[in-house]
Amino acid sequence: MQKSDYRNMWVYIEHDGKTAAPVALELCCELRRLCDTTGDRLYAVILGELPASETDRIRECGIDGIIQVRGTGYEYFNTDAYANAFTVLSRKYNPSAIFVGGSINGRDFAPRFAVQLNTGCTSDAMQLEYDPETGDIQFIEPAVGGKIMAVITVPELRPQVGTIRPGTFRYAPTGAKPEIELIEEEISFDPDAIRCRHIDFIPDEMDPEMDIANADCIVCVGNGLKDSEHLERYRKLAKLLGGKIGCTRPLFDRGILPYKLQIGQSGVMVKTKLYLSFGVSGAVNHTAGIDADLFIAVDKNPDAQIFNYCDYGIVGDMDEVCDEMIELLKAREAQRASI
Amino acid sequence: MLKILVCVKQIPDVDLVKMDPETGNLVRAGVPTLTNPLDLNALEAAVQVKERYGGEITLITMGPPMAESTLRECLAVGGDEAILITGRPFGGADTLSTSYTIVKAADMKGKFDLIFCGKETLDGATGQMASQLAERFDASQISFCYSIDDISDGKIRATRALETGKEIVEATLPCLLTVEKDNFYGRLPNLKAYLDSKTREITTYTENDIDGLDLNLIGVPGSGTIVPKIYPPELPEPGQIIHTGSPRSDAGRLIEILAEKGSI
Repeated sequence: MQKSDYRNMWVYIEHDGKTAAPVALELCCELRRLCDTTGDRLYAVILGELPASETDRIRECGIDGIIQVRGTGYEYFNTDAYANAFTVLSRKYNPSAIFVGGSINGRDFAPRFAVQLNTGCTSDAMQLEYDPETGDIQFIEPAVGGKIMAVITVPELRPQVGTIRPGTFRYAPTGAKPEIELIEEEISFDPDAIRCRHIDFIPDEMDPEMDIANADCIVCVGNGLKDSEHLERYRKLAKLLGGKIGCTRPLFDRGILPYKLQIGQSGVMVKTKLYLSFGVSGAVNHTAGIDADLFIAVDKNPDAQIFNYCDYGIVGDMDEVCDEMIELLKAREAQRASI
Repeated sequence: MLKILVCVKQIPDVDLVKMDPETGNLVRAGVPTLTNPLDLNALEAAVQVKERYGGEITLITMGPPMAESTLRECLAVGGDEAILITGRPFGGADTLSTSYTIVKAADMKGKFDLIFCGKETLDGATGQMASQLAERFDASQISFCYSIDDISDGKIRATRALETGKEIVEATLPCLLTVEKDNFYGRLPNLKAYLDSKTREITTYTENDIDGLDLNLIGVPGSGTIVPKIYPPELPEPGQIIHTGSPRSDAGRLIEILAEKGSI
């Protein structure tokens, strides 16, 4: 196998028939940058139908072409038909790299077609670089609980497959190219051959407390929390600040707060005005998920990495500082009410 | 009777792994190990299925000889049989070669109807193994399974947890599942099972014991990815530490800052 025979990069456009998933657009934007370095062409791969207004948004991200796949088997996401489509396409066109948004379904099928193609697969890179000497993409990601950064490459096999978490890269479209190639493919997968089939979908009930991605203020509680009984004061503080509560992965692992409140690369990526962390050590996986105008950290360990990410920090007992803040905020409210 | 396979992994306690600042290598010596917590949710799902539908649970792991302790821990919770794949040539494997190795070894025990995996490990955290195993087992897959609703007539009906809701799916056996922990919290073994597990027999396979194993497809040679470099994360300059002498005055100063910045 000659690596140089494999050219161009692909992005899988995840969609629900109406809109393209934000992660797909984020990937197109980031890969535009990478392809400008490598000289590859960038293709958006669409399985099934997507409205023209949505394909226009994808064009705006600076792609060079669209591979539009039609046929049976794409009505609902299913591992068999989706993995097969990429295997068939990849064998025909020999792309250098295939990127898939790291949604639940993206992470379901990408590693599977990577095995079908007998190639290397990486997940959750936070940075993509190109090594001109080897011609390999460097997938750079946190490892060992976020204490180190690891460079991962696919040195011999092609295509290089990567799943990337939503929110990792910025959606910053650079504008549509004057000419965009359209490749149309018919790849039908026998619906009867789909081994795991969609029966029904039941949307989760909307609980505003569980929707923290764009909350104005977030009080994030980390592994420093002693137990769930100590959580109440942080809820109180969040309420006083007009914010919502979030957590780091260990608190979800400990069963104290639900997954939807887990902030970080493997949970929710948040954009907020005010972020206060209590008892959070500051692993890269967590801090990568925070975009805050003002970042406050409270932790008892003066060497905690979190203090490198905050604007202001307090070294001290998290519960004590929280209690003092509650008292002072209440006093402030009372004072205001009396004026 | 359902033949059930549960894939487990022994991992180092990642909180205690350090990087040698001189060599840039990970220091794992003396670091305690544990069974990957999400694998215990997978085992729990398998035990629940066995209790409801009958079956036999085989545990499988790949790792150094000491990974045997993880198998014993899982046997105590609910395994009938356990396989340890161990040997130098397996070392340094990524998910491409590990999935190949595990399926080759599992094939030695016949065909499985259900395969359970944790959705990822806390050390490697690629989350890729399950889908890659499913492909190599030629099985259907139900990832991020929230509940197992029915198993009958060679089919399994289950509920997946997606970003915005639950998806109900139906898959043919053999099927590989990764589970969410909501309904599959791990259980503790009873004392007798725990004591029994200490002396249970474990099947050990080296590279010489697995039929038709292609040595070019295991360990480093069979891997698709490599890790040419690791380095400590670049940290931003530390923020300003409020240090006024007491928690109360620190909190007070912080509130002042929040007010100055217009945050409250």
